[in-house]
Amino acid sequence: MVVRDKMKIPRVTTLVSVAVLVLLALFPLIGIPPNWLNYLFSFFIYLALASMWNLLAGYTGLICLCPHAFVGLAGYTLAIGTQVGVPFQVGLIAGAAVAALFALVISYPVFRMKGIYFAIGTLVLPEALKAWFSFWRPVGTAYQGMGAGYSVIGLAGFTLGDKYWLALAIAAASIFVVHIILRARLGLGLTAIRDNENTAASSGVNIFRLKLSSFLIAAFIIGIAGAAYYIHNPRIQPTGGFNISWLLLPLMATVIGGEGSEEGPIIGAAVVTFLRFLLADYGAWSLLIQGIILVVVVVTMPQGIAGLLRQVGAYRFPQKLFQAAEGKIHRT
Amino acid sequence: MSEAAVLSIDRVNKNFGGIHAIKDMTFEVRAGEVLGLMGPNGAGKTTLLNLIAGVYRPDSGRILFEGKNITRYPPHKICHLGIARTFQIPQPFTHLLVRDNLMVAAKYGNKRGDTLEIDEILDLVDLLKQKDTIAGDLLTVSLKRLELARALASNPTLILLDEVAAGSTEAELPRILDITKQVREMGKTIILVEHVMKVMVEAVDRIIVIDKGEKIAEGTPGEVMEDEKVLAAYFG
Repeated sequence: MVVRDKMKIPRVTTLVSVAVLVLLALFPLIGIPPNWLNYLFSFFIYLALASMWNLLAGYTGLICLCPHAFVGLAGYTLAIGTQVGVPFQVGLIAGAAVAALFALVISYPVFRMKGIYFAIGTLVLPEALKAWFSFWRPVGTAYQGMGAGYSVIGLAGFTLGDKYWLALAIAAASIFVVHIILRARLGLGLTAIRDNENTAASSGVNIFRLKLSSFLIAAFIIGIAGAAYYIHNPRIQPTGGFNISWLLLPLMATVIGGEGSEEGPIIGAAVVTFLRFLLADYGAWSLLIQGIILVVVVVTMPQGIAGLLRQVGAYRFPQKLFQAAEGKIHRT
Repeated sequence: MSEAAVLSIDRVNKNFGGIHAIKDMTFEVRAGEVLGLMGPNGAGKTTLLNLIAGVYRPDSGRILFEGKNITRYPPHKICHLGIARTFQIPQPFTHLLVRDNLMVAAKYGNKRGDTLEIDEILDLVDLLKQKDTIAGDLLTVSLKRLELARALASNPTLILLDEVAAGSTEAELPRILDITKQVREMGKTIILVEHVMKVMVEAVDRIIVIDKGEKIAEGTPGEVMEDEKVLAAYFG
């Protein structure tokens, strides 16, 4: 685990984060090429997924192998919603709510399993949903036997810039939520559960309730990120919505970036997006190359890039710089 | 149940498969006393603590704490009522700081009554200097003390101590006895499971000896040491 404790962050960091956020928000207005906006859109979605996967695996100790269940359910809720005339904005929230509801329904059985059994128990769920949505067709024309896809409609007037801002807001919210949780009583309880369930229980922590809180928050934000993706790519299929890559992307991003650290998912999501950009033309080869990179990272930096950065003291200089800046602000 | 009893164990039985781990156990713990639990290895001492702490549920019998039936309570609720426990093999929150280990218990534990300051507790168990250390980096002796500190941080009225002195050197024993005494002076009731005879004899008011899951003797340290059944259980 990289972060054994939340880092002490100079207050100027907040200012820097806000500045970065504003800069990113300005991109669509200053004529950045659409291709860039598309890659940044993917980055924001991966970041939200990785951030939530990190909340579960890195801070709660839940190796959750079913984010694609949340993505698929949210995407289907959005698509079916727009098919029956619901505005897509409402569909977006409804999708996230359905994902969270699903998390609530499965929580009782899956939380009875621990460690690797929990992981396997969650892994079968998206497969079941994929099969279900291949046959179930609640609205629209008759099923042709070729997979049950839906289009997301009613998106006229929602530009690439709008989608970009939506994804940026979701990514920023996902980071902010984790930041807040870690500094609250909830974060203390979650990390206690991660480290030792028996001790946590005998120290008064209600294991089930805290795991459920973390699971619901993650399901909601993974759901809203998934639905946002289907606003940008407005057609969903069971094989796409419940695709295992929705699990592998955040998992890779978190492991490469550094599980159990706040900056890990940001670094990891950037790496994963950049790899997609580099390997876009290599088809199946890209999977092989990504796999090799993952293996190399796990072997050489077991705590991810963030862990390595901390080990070599890469944060010392910026931290000093920020503290100096803070000192100046206080003096003036 | 007599008037001063904080905890009362009433005909409790526990089976694991074919093994009758606890047989018709009945005893009471009085407010403010230090009760020692003694017995050969495998006698059921830790099982008994786990039954009280809610880790196991008895197959039959009742456990009353301050007059309340807690037999079927889960561990976190038992902690909320004011029973804390230490583990025989230290079970810290490995990746958290020493002070955050206590903070978990302070924030989630028993909220009634006056709580102790984290620093005060760390000072008591000689861990104040290590409060910003990662718990996983502590030595075993310190981890044993962290167990006690975490238990205290949850603000208990009854503390279950499972072999706090085990693995300590002779030179460390007086300090452990002293800490136990101070905990007692805070008005806490203590159940002490211990193999180290010196601690047992000096720290406790009363001893219950169990063997093969049954209570075989009860009394002051002096009385118990002369009991024939106890001598038989230990020396054959």
